[in-house]
Amino acid sequence: MALAPIGLQHFLVLGTILFCIGMYGALSRSNAVGVLLSIELMLNAVNVIMVAFAKFIDTPQELAGQVFAIFIMTVAAAEAAVGLAIVISVYRLRHSIQVDDIDLLKN
Amino acid sequence: MNNAFLPIALACAVALVSAVGVILARRPVHAVVALLAHSLCVAALFLIMAADLVALGQVLIYSGAIVVLFLFVVALLPHGGIESVVPTGRVVSAVVAGAALLAALAAGLAVGAPTAPENPAGGVEAIGRSLFGPLIVPFELTAALLLVAIIGAVAIWRRQEPEPGAKASSRAASEGSLAHTADAPGATGRQRLLDEGGPAR
Repeated sequence: MALAPIGLQHFLVLGTILFCIGMYGALSRSNAVGVLLSIELMLNAVNVIMVAFAKFIDTPQELAGQVFAIFIMTVAAAEAAVGLAIVISVYRLRHSIQVDDIDLLKN
Repeated sequence: MNNAFLPIALACAVALVSAVGVILARRPVHAVVALLAHSLCVAALFLIMAADLVALGQVLIYSGAIVVLFLFVVALLPHGGIESVVPTGRVVSAVVAGAALLAALAAGLAVGAPTAPENPAGGVEAIGRSLFGPLIVPFELTAALLLVAIIGAVAIWRRQEPEPGAKASSRAASEGSLAHTADAPGATGRQRLLDEGGPAR
């Protein structure tokens, strides 16, 4: 293979691009479910970077990156459950899940 | 690791394309399916990076639990909670913010990643040793987090019953809205399911 060996740099670039895609989605989606999906993308991107660091850097605390990724996954699951419950609750109240309509705390 | 170039490139490409699909799909169902493809590709990347347990967790928790939860919610919402037209100003500002973050992170990456020898340690055993050794407190706190999340989700989702001694007017209003929903032509069971939990207005 003539290309450079795949190393930490490549995974960092991938994770960075994925995180930025997720942030664009979180800012631009008009749909609360879409915003939550974009947040999941961002958490996934961070996981990629964490695991890449655990793979390519020899730390005294062995595999801290992988353990951190597992914790992030747990938090993501909790966040999705509570977030989707809030979406359903807001839908009952407003009959809409467009983020522009969710202004209950204004005024 | 060089011999795995093709699988890595394939997984990266599909992960990127499906990530773009997640943010661009008009219908939430398509976005959720794209997220499923994305999380499976990320799991493949984890496997390539010899993170077996994280890959397993990715498949079980993300693809198995979170995506299915999203699918349930999308199925509950009428029209799948379709995306409305986004104002141009918001798209522009989101593009600017995303591009600025990308530029900032790229500037950080341009310095160059440290080139250390690959971490020889690996496997579930090492993770278990650190989870039940130095990280036992955060690991146990995770249980509390999940319990609180379950209780919170149920409490938010749950139908909000009126107080036993509540005013008759609010109860009547609630029943009226129920009857209205049931009588409305084209009222589906899905809408009823959502509306029954509606608070007394």
